[in-house]
Amino acid sequence: MDLENQKRVLNISEEFGAENVVVLLGASEAEAAGLAAETVTNGDPTWAGPLAGVQLGLTVYHICEDEIKSEVDAGVYDEQVGMMEMVMDVPAIHEEMENIRSQYCKYL
Amino acid sequence: MAILNGKHVIIIGDRDGVPGPAIEECAKTAGAEIAYSSTECFV
Amino acid sequence: MNGYPVVKGAAYTLAATPSMVIYNGTTQTTERVVNPSSEYLVELPKHLRSYEDVISYIPNQVYIGNAHYDDLANTEFPYYDKKWEGAKEDGKFGCIMPEDEFYGVMHICDVFELVMLENSFAEQVKEKLAKREMFTEEQLESILKNNADQAELERLVKDEHSEGLYIDQTHLVGVVKRAHDVDVNLSAHVMLENLVSKASNVISLIELKKKNNFDPASVEYVIDCCEEACGDMNQRGGGNFAKAAAEIAGYPNATGSDVRGFCAGPAHAMLHAAALVKAGTFKNVVVTAGGCTAKLGMNGKDHVKKGLPILEDCIAGFSVLVSADDGVHPQIRTDIVGRHTISTGSAPQKVIGSLVGDPLKAAGLKITEIDKYAPELQNPDITKPAGAGDVPEANYKMIAALAVMSKDLDRSEIANFVQKHGMPGWAPTQGHIPSGVPYLGPLMDDCMSGKVQKAMIIGKGSLFLGRMTNLFDGVSFVVQANDGTVGGKSAAKKEVKVCKTANYYGTKIAFASEGSEHGQDNIDLAVELAAKKGIEAIVSEGETAHKEMEAALNDGTAQAAVTMHYPFPIGVSTVGKVITPARGKAMYIANTTGTSDTDRVSALVKNAIAGIIAAKADGVEHPTVGIANIDGARACEKALKKLKDNGFDITFAESARADGGVEMRGNDLLLGTADVMVMDSLTGNLMMKMFSSYTTGGQYEAMGYGYGPGIGEGYDKLIMIVSRASGAPVIAGAMEYAANLVANDWKKIADETYAAAHAAGLDDILKASAPAKAAEAEEEEEDVPMPAKEVVTAAIPGIEVMDIDNAVKALWKAGIYAEGGMGCTGPIVQISEANKDKAVEILTKAGYIG
Repeated sequence: MDLENQKRVLNISEEFGAENVVVLLGASEAEAAGLAAETVTNGDPTWAGPLAGVQLGLTVYHICEDEIKSEVDAGVYDEQVGMMEMVMDVPAIHEEMENIRSQYCKYL
Repeated sequence: MAILNGKHVIIIGDRDGVPGPAIEECAKTAGAEIAYSSTECFV
Repeated sequence: MNGYPVVKGAAYTLAATPSMVIYNGTTQTTERVVNPSSEYLVELPKHLRSYEDVISYIPNQVYIGNAHYDDLANTEFPYYDKKWEGAKEDGKFGCIMPEDEFYGVMHICDVFELVMLENSFAEQVKEKLAKREMFTEEQLESILKNNADQAELERLVKDEHSEGLYIDQTHLVGVVKRAHDVDVNLSAHVMLENLVSKASNVISLIELKKKNNFDPASVEYVIDCCEEACGDMNQRGGGNFAKAAAEIAGYPNATGSDVRGFCAGPAHAMLHAAALVKAGTFKNVVVTAGGCTAKLGMNGKDHVKKGLPILEDCIAGFSVLVSADDGVHPQIRTDIVGRHTISTGSAPQKVIGSLVGDPLKAAGLKITEIDKYAPELQNPDITKPAGAGDVPEANYKMIAALAVMSKDLDRSEIANFVQKHGMPGWAPTQGHIPSGVPYLGPLMDDCMSGKVQKAMIIGKGSLFLGRMTNLFDGVSFVVQANDGTVGGKSAAKKEVKVCKTANYYGTKIAFASEGSEHGQDNIDLAVELAAKKGIEAIVSEGETAHKEMEAALNDGTAQAAVTMHYPFPIGVSTVGKVITPARGKAMYIANTTGTSDTDRVSALVKNAIAGIIAAKADGVEHPTVGIANIDGARACEKALKKLKDNGFDITFAESARADGGVEMRGNDLLLGTADVMVMDSLTGNLMMKMFSSYTTGGQYEAMGYGYGPGIGEGYDKLIMIVSRASGAPVIAGAMEYAANLVANDWKKIADETYAAAHAAGLDDILKASAPAKAAEAEEEEEDVPMPAKEVVTAAIPGIEVMDIDNAVKALWKAGIYAEGGMGCTGPIVQISEANKDKAVEILTKAGYIG
């Protein structure tokens, strides 16, 4: 994940408390979604950014996962994400996200 | 319990997936506070 | 509607810079700051590719035009572990250059004594670059100035903030010095980045000149669209990479400017160029860009982690020439343009809707009417391991989804659509480089070969990376095949005076000129050359060219026609005429296109008769006949000898080789031993092309009289074939050949010769040489009555020539009237428009077509 983004994640978690923060991802592939999710839960796996070794354990979802989709206005979701949902491999993304969440999320 | 309602949301969008602003629009309808939104670019 | 600007030339180049990956790619430079002892930095050098591996990498060969994007589509993913057979560093569109020579080009491009090379290294590089014939002697000499020894280079890096230039990863061979002690915009880092951009830009601009036939002095404006900025601290993005690069590359009459738009820059620049040309402001505008050091090894961490080579190891460049409509090259539809606007938003469907759906809808086109889409053609070999997916494929899926939403496409057809309207990505991830424009080169071929009628180029840009706005961006435009009409009407032509005292005065020949690969000037010249012989060419162009040509033949306005392709029926094939090199003697090649018979031996015999007819009608009283030594020659000889024994007038030639005989060897072809050289039409076609173009290197057919008249029993129209590659002398030659046939009453000679052949037992002789087929034909004929004859204007290609007769019968059985024939790319079955769909269905079911 971009170093600037890691810095912001760290600052916001400190400001509001990690338990009050949710991270939403829009990555196009399961693997990239998993890496980003791991970064905000277990720390930067590439050991390059401010989150290296920082286990925030934030709640993290991909925008295409049903848990999030069900909370969003259906019309807005369809307009903003509907087409990308057709293009992306949503089950694979969900599986990867579940895997990360079950290992590292602290606030579920 | 709702995941998004009343929470501070950090959005990491993807230029070739779902971009940040599109996720923002969605999160707002679920009652989330947008704390930060950005879009990553791998290319 | 017409007169749109055309894409007249394109160049694509790569510089393999593995050492720059280490020292200048931002992923690596950032890592050195935040994590200097990281495992990645230790592992990285082991993953850098050799120069040979960069060359043989298939996506690179596609980029420079040695391989086709279809070849890539047929390559099993991933690509990095495959090699392109016959890979070269020079391609149709441009070259690949190694790191050391690239540093030499940087030195040539530097006019402020910022680039210094190690003295002996500079000597070597100068020698290597001289061999490329890209630079002037003066430019090559400049490499030897302003250099230093090793110790001085090391001092400059250590004490003077210079950026090092390395080969073999660690060997310092040069530096880029800072251009100012304080100004960060002129720091060594920025100067290196900008000089790399300029140098790669220059290489592409030079390749554009070398690989496309135009006068660089005719270029009036150059637009650079890379992602760098040049200027000092008082004007950080002052600009004009364009003019700086064009100066070195040798475009003396150009000015220029820079257009920026992140990755969408090239698509924006193409619109600017097209608009300048369409408005008539300039006739020739070049859009060009060099590559960037920053993105070298951008996804390197993922590649190294997964054991892949570093695939982002090349600095890319491209240049495209946009010119006024020439009636030949593909046109940029300046009126079908998509724009992502400020209010479009960032939802993917809105983005793709604004770039694809909206402009097509406004133009009354369906999404499925665009044959090929070129979004960002990022190489998935690079992006997939980095988790960014297959970018072009995702775009194709979105376009397909959009087509489903707009009801242009059925949902079940999405996968098909992606296959048919898409391409695999082959462009290096150099930001702006993949932005749709890598397709413009292949698109010229696709449009000119008729494979593609319309294509869309789509550029997208991530403006938010500049932290000035959160907006996304993009523009798109449609490119279409040129219908050759230039401005909606025939281009104003010079008045051509037909010579009244020449031999052929009074001969009028209809000429369907559309499809030539050599442009309008070539056509005009052909008409002028013919006029000197007294021949008046009645030129027809565009989609209606063939209809006009046929009308002129039918109503007697013209006595003969010349065209670049024509669907002759089975039984009619063409007799070409060439000048053989050994003695400068004319020789008739029987035959060169079309199919005289679906049985090989029968075809050879009929070709011999057609050849005799053509030669006699062209004024050779007793033409000698030889049979090229190919499969079926002996059987053909037997049949012809039987004909002669039965009284048919035929004079056999004798091979010039010691052992003689009617069978002609390669030597006899060059000698022109026989007046009429008999062979099958595929071989004949090959011979025609070789005899016509061997003096020019192959692309331009400069000699001879073309592929000749279509001759067959009862065929009463004189239609001469030339090829799309035929130059003006060959086209004019075909007209002269036709004029002579007309003067000698070719039709009478044809009728007499066929009658004589039948009298000598032709039918029985052919039956004896192909008994099985004859029996089969008779049986078929008895079984299937012919349905009522109707006008056939639709064609179905893709049927094996041997199956044509049976395919026709199969349709007759179903009550559909059909005829067999030869299209320009092979055999066809012709039917009425109304019956086409049903006929395709029947032929598919019966296995005649796939």
